[in-house]
Amino acid sequence: MISLVLLIPIVFCLIMFFAKNKTLNNFLINIYAILHLIGGLSYFYKPLQFFDVQYFSLNSSNIVFYLILSVVFLAVAVYNNGYSKNLKFSDKKLMHYATMLLIFVFSMTGGILSNNLGLAWIFIEGTTLASAYLIYFNKTKHSIEAAWKYVFICSIGIALAFVGIILLTVATGSLNSLNYVDLMNSAQSFNHFWLNVSFVFILFGLGTKMGLAPVHFWLPDAHSEAPSPISALLSATLLNCAFLVILNVYKVVIAANCFAYARIVLLVMGFLSLFITAVFLYHTNNYKRMLAYSSIENMGILAIGTALGGIAYYAVIIHLIGHSLIKASYFLTSGNILELFETKRIKSIRALGDVDKKTAWLWIASFLGICAFPPSMLFLSEFITVKAMLIQKHYILCILFLFLLTVILYAMAKVVIKMVFGEKSEEKFEIAKNNISKVTLSMYAPQIVLLTLAFVMGVYLPEFLDVIIRNTIVG
Amino acid sequence: MENGFIILFGLTMLYLSATSRLIAHVKTIMVQGILLFLICATAFSHLPWYTIAFLTIETLLVKAILIPWFLNKVLKKTHSNRDTDANIAHFYCLLISSIILFGGFMLSVVEIPSLSMINPFCFGIALAVIIISLWLITIKHKILSNVIEFITMENGIFLLSLSVAKEMPMLVNIGVLLDVFIAIYILGLFVSQINTELGDMEVAHLSDLKDCEYND
Repeated sequence: MISLVLLIPIVFCLIMFFAKNKTLNNFLINIYAILHLIGGLSYFYKPLQFFDVQYFSLNSSNIVFYLILSVVFLAVAVYNNGYSKNLKFSDKKLMHYATMLLIFVFSMTGGILSNNLGLAWIFIEGTTLASAYLIYFNKTKHSIEAAWKYVFICSIGIALAFVGIILLTVATGSLNSLNYVDLMNSAQSFNHFWLNVSFVFILFGLGTKMGLAPVHFWLPDAHSEAPSPISALLSATLLNCAFLVILNVYKVVIAANCFAYARIVLLVMGFLSLFITAVFLYHTNNYKRMLAYSSIENMGILAIGTALGGIAYYAVIIHLIGHSLIKASYFLTSGNILELFETKRIKSIRALGDVDKKTAWLWIASFLGICAFPPSMLFLSEFITVKAMLIQKHYILCILFLFLLTVILYAMAKVVIKMVFGEKSEEKFEIAKNNISKVTLSMYAPQIVLLTLAFVMGVYLPEFLDVIIRNTIVG
Repeated sequence: MENGFIILFGLTMLYLSATSRLIAHVKTIMVQGILLFLICATAFSHLPWYTIAFLTIETLLVKAILIPWFLNKVLKKTHSNRDTDANIAHFYCLLISSIILFGGFMLSVVEIPSLSMINPFCFGIALAVIIISLWLITIKHKILSNVIEFITMENGIFLLSLSVAKEMPMLVNIGVLLDVFIAIYILGLFVSQINTELGDMEVAHLSDLKDCEYND
């Protein structure tokens, strides 16, 4: 099955390349999205069939990441059916868009399924190649600037992560493997000094890709300039891929029993991410940039939860799922707003509720979800994180955490309320009313499903999901 | 003999710090490629023959021929000649690079027990090259200069991977190749596109996206 999940996009890309047909492109993207999800779900029925490829495996530690990718990709594929109708480009360019989208998902899938650190690194680098084109897709001055920053900063980050991998091989001593299982099994014998140094390089390198401050600079630009379905994938899935690799290396560091230093670095980067978001959200005048900063904040929360350990690990996985579902919905809804108002300026968007009620409600629901309003999954995760801080007697950190989250909540609420209920400008209102036909049913449905999942799972977590979350922590 | 090549490799970074002519930068990249090829060919006899064959062929073809050729092409296309507006004068640039390189040499002579797995000389120079490249990226103004320094950083990382005195998996070699692919393909491609779009190659022109008010 893994072979199929990894081979299908390559075959589909070849078909798209020769056919150059817009309808066929969408059809193949949808088919791959469905097959991708089936591949993930079949894990629960015949786990053994997944161990058919040497370097890839779907196991307890990556199944959650894989399923998130599948669900978000399916939502994006459905949204893309309506979105691509509004793209007025040549068939050739649309073919490039579709093939790069598949290669992007293929790279992320490979990165998640890799059971070897070196291979995961190669796939993470592959995601840069594919997504750079997608960010640059609109070929405007701003999109080229965003794509350049993305490629350059991430390439340097990934190169530093490679230095970390080289140093890890120094730390491993006689072990000649980068397989996660081998690394975990031999972790006790690793050189602690080199392991710590290598973790710092890997954290800073892949932290660049994950969007952790202070190496996050590409993220607001790239997320805001990419087409909305791509922004959703970048924020809800790509950041997770980088986080998975960091988490796997961190598990090795824990197994080697030298995590004190790594923990501090994670905590510092986590809180710095929250701080940066709190500061910059006040100044931003672009709602897609606002969402991008929110991603930095949530990645910071993941880093903090990972550093805290204990029950906070459980919160990390819940947060990961909740953030991916809600943020994908948020970015897709921002795509609707962009289609309607033809601008990303917050000041130009007022009275969204009068223009399109469905989009306005989705915008508000996504905001409530991302701000951890109960029963959102993020409420559960942030509540557990705070509890973990109190249990571990980190009172000052807890106050700082809650303070920064409140500032971020206020900054976002101000923007969302103004956009939805603000006084309308006749000129912009007319433009939006004329564009209402561009937003079709397929551009609402995925967000409704994603938000329903995120809110329902905040109250009721199915047993099978609870089991795989617990296994992710242990595995 | 290999130590001589490694020293020369480190010294190329000083030349890179001291000159503003971009064509000279490209030539330095070529020299670095040749030196890395010679280091691979002479110093790593403990590796299996297929790894040496892969490394030497890859280094010679990609690092010494393909990348300089590609950069040269971009250089001609964009009519870029010099990067004169660095944040720091060339003399100080050379001085700081020399200090970093000296630090690299010092690191290689310090006896650290936990460094037994690696060739300290190679390790020290490689680290110095990586740090000098990163530092040069921050002070240069031309986009093409940044690409060139990125490639020298990749070369430094390549030397660092060679410094580990055990067999690096083939996978890592492929990883290095992929990195190089990014450098020449994406960066080269973007450099041309930026030149077409902006009509200039200054990093300063890529600062339109910001949080405060800007034209959409």
